[in-house]
Amino acid sequence: MATRREFKLANEYLYNRSGPVRWVISHALRYPIFAPLALLAAILNNYLYGNIQLSIGRAFDLIISPGWIGGSTPRTGLLFLALTVLAIALGQGLTGLARNYAVEFLAHKVERDARDELYVSLLGKSQTFHGRQRIGDVMARATNDMRMLNLMFAPALMLILDSAMAIVLPVFLIARLKLELMLVPGIFLALLAITIWDYNRRLNPVSNALREQFGTLNAGLAEAISGIEVVKANVRERYEWDKFTQNAQRYRDLFVKQGEIQARYLPVLVFSLAWAASFLHGVWMWRSGGITLGQVIAFMGLVGTLRFPTFMSIWTFNLVQIGIASARRILEMINTETDLDENIHGIVQPIQGEVVFENVSFAYDSEQASSQPVLKNISFTAQPGETIAIVGQTGSGKTTLTRLINRIFDANEGRVLVDGVDVYDWSLESLRSQISTIEQAPFLFSRTIRENIAFGCSDATQTQIEEAAEAAQAHEFIAGFREGYDTEVGERGVTLSGGQRQRIAIARAFLTDPRILILDDSTSAIDSATEDQIQRAMRRISSQRTTFLITHRLSQIRWADRILVLRRGELADQGTHDELMARSADYRRIFAR
Amino acid sequence: MGFILDGLETEAYDRNYNDRELLSRLAAYFGPHRPRMALVAAAIALNSLAGTGGPILISRGIDLLRDDASTALLLLLTGGVLLLGAIAWTFNFIQQWFSARVVGDVVLRIREEVFAATIRHDMSFYDEHPSGKVVSRVTSDTQDLSEVVTLTMSLFSQVLLVIVMSIWLSSINALLALVLLSLAPISVAIALSFRRIARRVTQHAKRVTAKINAQIQESVSGIMIAKNFRQERAIYEAFAANNRQAYHVQLRRGLTFDTIFPVLNIASGLGVAVLIYAGGLAAGAGAISPGNWYLFMQAIGFFFWPLISIASFWSQFQDGLSAAERVFALIDAEPKVVQTGSEPVEKLAGGIAFRNLKFTYTPVVTESRGGEDVLPDFSLDIRPGETVALVGHTGAGKSSIARLISRFYEFQDGQLLVDGRDIRQLDLSQYRRHLGIVPQEPFLFSGSVLENIRYGLPGANDDEVCVAAERISGGDWLGDLPQGLDTDVGERGANLSMGQRQLVALARVLLKDPAILILDEATASVDPFTEAQIQEGLAIVMQNRTSIIIAHRLSTVKHADRIIVMDHGRIIEEGSHAGLMAQGGSYAELYDTYFRHQELDYRAPELLDDRTPVLVW
Repeated sequence: MATRREFKLANEYLYNRSGPVRWVISHALRYPIFAPLALLAAILNNYLYGNIQLSIGRAFDLIISPGWIGGSTPRTGLLFLALTVLAIALGQGLTGLARNYAVEFLAHKVERDARDELYVSLLGKSQTFHGRQRIGDVMARATNDMRMLNLMFAPALMLILDSAMAIVLPVFLIARLKLELMLVPGIFLALLAITIWDYNRRLNPVSNALREQFGTLNAGLAEAISGIEVVKANVRERYEWDKFTQNAQRYRDLFVKQGEIQARYLPVLVFSLAWAASFLHGVWMWRSGGITLGQVIAFMGLVGTLRFPTFMSIWTFNLVQIGIASARRILEMINTETDLDENIHGIVQPIQGEVVFENVSFAYDSEQASSQPVLKNISFTAQPGETIAIVGQTGSGKTTLTRLINRIFDANEGRVLVDGVDVYDWSLESLRSQISTIEQAPFLFSRTIRENIAFGCSDATQTQIEEAAEAAQAHEFIAGFREGYDTEVGERGVTLSGGQRQRIAIARAFLTDPRILILDDSTSAIDSATEDQIQRAMRRISSQRTTFLITHRLSQIRWADRILVLRRGELADQGTHDELMARSADYRRIFAR
Repeated sequence: MGFILDGLETEAYDRNYNDRELLSRLAAYFGPHRPRMALVAAAIALNSLAGTGGPILISRGIDLLRDDASTALLLLLTGGVLLLGAIAWTFNFIQQWFSARVVGDVVLRIREEVFAATIRHDMSFYDEHPSGKVVSRVTSDTQDLSEVVTLTMSLFSQVLLVIVMSIWLSSINALLALVLLSLAPISVAIALSFRRIARRVTQHAKRVTAKINAQIQESVSGIMIAKNFRQERAIYEAFAANNRQAYHVQLRRGLTFDTIFPVLNIASGLGVAVLIYAGGLAAGAGAISPGNWYLFMQAIGFFFWPLISIASFWSQFQDGLSAAERVFALIDAEPKVVQTGSEPVEKLAGGIAFRNLKFTYTPVVTESRGGEDVLPDFSLDIRPGETVALVGHTGAGKSSIARLISRFYEFQDGQLLVDGRDIRQLDLSQYRRHLGIVPQEPFLFSGSVLENIRYGLPGANDDEVCVAAERISGGDWLGDLPQGLDTDVGERGANLSMGQRQLVALARVLLKDPAILILDEATASVDPFTEAQIQEGLAIVMQNRTSIIIAHRLSTVKHADRIIVMDHGRIIEEGSHAGLMAQGGSYAELYDTYFRHQELDYRAPELLDDRTPVLVW
């Protein structure tokens, strides 16, 4: 499907990705044995269960046959029936196991495969995609939606399959007993469908409202408790109490309403009616000589089994709906095409580091008229090796601006030039491999510090790694750990502070030696010693590279070669510190302390 | 029928109340609903009777019909079966209808009580009980304990059903009834042993799944880095291994759960087989009628599932009681802050005096500090209108001073005087109306900016709120909000930037116009433009009132009237910034540790061997 992919597995299994249902089915069909096995087992299972009822009927006929106990083989007959029932029960248990296991295997295999498929497709997608995708979104699909996919098979589809068979087979057995006997079960099933439908129609809105109200109650309470200091400081306990009790009262009212609807569960009454009617019809048929009394009992037993499938219906169908919705979300992500051209035939050459913006504008969704532009008409030039500080309020477009340089996003209007060449004309690979971004809270793997630093070049020697760490001012704290460079990061190992993570990321960048560097440094260092080290690291990594520095630190802004002042997406001003101090009131204001 | 597998995830829990205490307290909540409860109980009993009546009638009917298959008798029997079914349904209806009301009302009352108790508690309570847990106790645990009631009721009705049926069957044939009842221990044993296995598998799976999920999360989060450095193959392999492991663990848990019902079905089939044979022989010997033989067949279905649900009742019941205990523990927690008087507080000048005050949070905190109290013997006089900056390392006791003035905690010895009056004697609500508190991370409630500012002074009208907001940094910041004062702040202020939330908190205090300002300065970094607005706003807010500031900003300490340098709960230096710097003592050291890099012309000093590669900056 997706033609442009950056990662591929050898002999990958191909699924049908044209729609969520087809996709799920094609996943299930990868293991063609399980679905038919589950169906067969479910049929056998319910067939056998029905046969227990038939055997009870036969046993009844046996014991009411006159003088059976005195006959030659009476006890053997009875024993035979009892043993038959035992054998059937065993068979029923085993087919039940087979049915459950088959679905369970299928469910987990589909979950595993789908997650694998999603993962491979994510690896195949471009940086552009990942730059735009929120990590939480991807995670939700990789875990929660996958789980829902699993639950759709086991238990939901399994229960639906089983419930269907638990209706079909008793009815089939009843029909085989005597076709006329289908009258009552037929009417019963129709009435049952109507009453269950009606019950759900009335219950669902109330149950949903109840669930929502529980959420409201919970959220309101969580807010009051988390903000308890503010509540107390402002003497608003009474107000919060009123708010809470109103919510709790509303919850209580809905709860009672739900109880009232549940109390009127008509299907049970319908069943009682069917039960009495079956008795009437069965005995009637017996009287007219159509069937034996034992068959009446077998018939009643079969009607009795129809009671169970009615309990599971609502919830299971909901699960299937949720599962399909999850499948759709997963598939959407898999099918997302990167609209960016890799431009393999573009320019490949070492970057000197000049960056020019010419009247650049950008909006996240330029097709939509309502979409607010994030950047408006930005123009500036950065000379090779310069350090450009970008300042502005949160949300003024600082990060977005830097992402236009390595084409995480593409400008809607104007041009971005690197070394005088439009970024569109660069080979994406060549462009990006020479531009590095260090985020304010860089991601580190739960591996050793050494592996994290050498992540980009696994053939780096220990000396090279240590040199990089040294230059990034990270060597000192790494050496301080008991296991030094072999210290594990994360849950199993040490927890690193934001400043430490940042310096490891800088070390990582030293090893890959980019020509253009984008440094997001909006974290706060609380102590001056850490600040000294971070600043030294940054100064070293940014020397001889064109550096875009997003920072909140006045001292760094001040020493930058040039400063871009962004205000609501527009370039309010640019220049050196002294120039801006001389002409910009806004800029002066931030230094007026 | 999932009840066998209910309540598997609960962990052992230390209980301080015994079952009897809990039950009698629970019963007290049901006291006012006695008439309804009696009705429910009667409905349960009659429902069970009608429920057993149906099969008995059919069995008797079959015997009777064999002798006399008249239409009249058949119709009578059919009518009887129908009637019993309708009666059972009606009593079930009554039971559910009224128990929903009782349970709803009881849960409501418990929730109200527990919330009222919770909100009365002082801050030491919230230190011991994380807010998430408090919330789940008020909402979920109250729900769970109400389920004990529902559960007990349904248990009663099922036990009653089994007892009535057993008595009836025994009166028909004691021996066969005994055979039938002997199935009970077998099926219960199977159910219980399965629960044990399922519990183990579940807990194991839960642990492993949490770990694997974390790993999968990491490999998903790491995709971007992996792509950056072209390490797709390596990271895929790590992912695939995690994914395989998740598959195995979860599959095993699923298979275990899948096994129980088929096995129980086999057990029930065994019962049917035994009864067919034994009952048949008894019928042949004339000990029971064929109709009664059929009744025994039906009874298996009657007995089997209730018995199994009884097997899981006990642990669910215990879960419910644990929930009850958690709820009652909240209600019963003793408040530590105790006011000895309720003197009115009309107006405050804002003078504060600590006199030999001794304070620690809990004995555990003292122990963790090597037996040293947070404030061993603290004395300090703050004049009305003075701006005092508290500085010192973490744990020096700065926040404790702010919290004691807010009267969020009780101190153990000494005195705390406000305008010369003992803080313990004051009417706390009135006193707090004169306090303006800005916590380190300002807390906003969902709603508009306007509502959040008004939170400090509920009686203020829109204009007054507007005036207060405009005074902060000349109202500049309002222009940066999409809808000005009407901007929806989102859950906990998520729609606003950190700096904007601080501005709202400042406006809130300004509207309240308190005599005393207590400010815990934020450490999080804010963009320089918003930071400038905050600084300007702060200058306005501090005017004309006593201000106690836990300072993290160099500009704040520089502007304070007095800097108090604290260490281990003691004042080690005090004075102005310039004076203290000149002394070259502890403050100068603190400055070098925390404030030096905030100077406008700060540059990181170069290490000697570091100098060569630096070019231009």
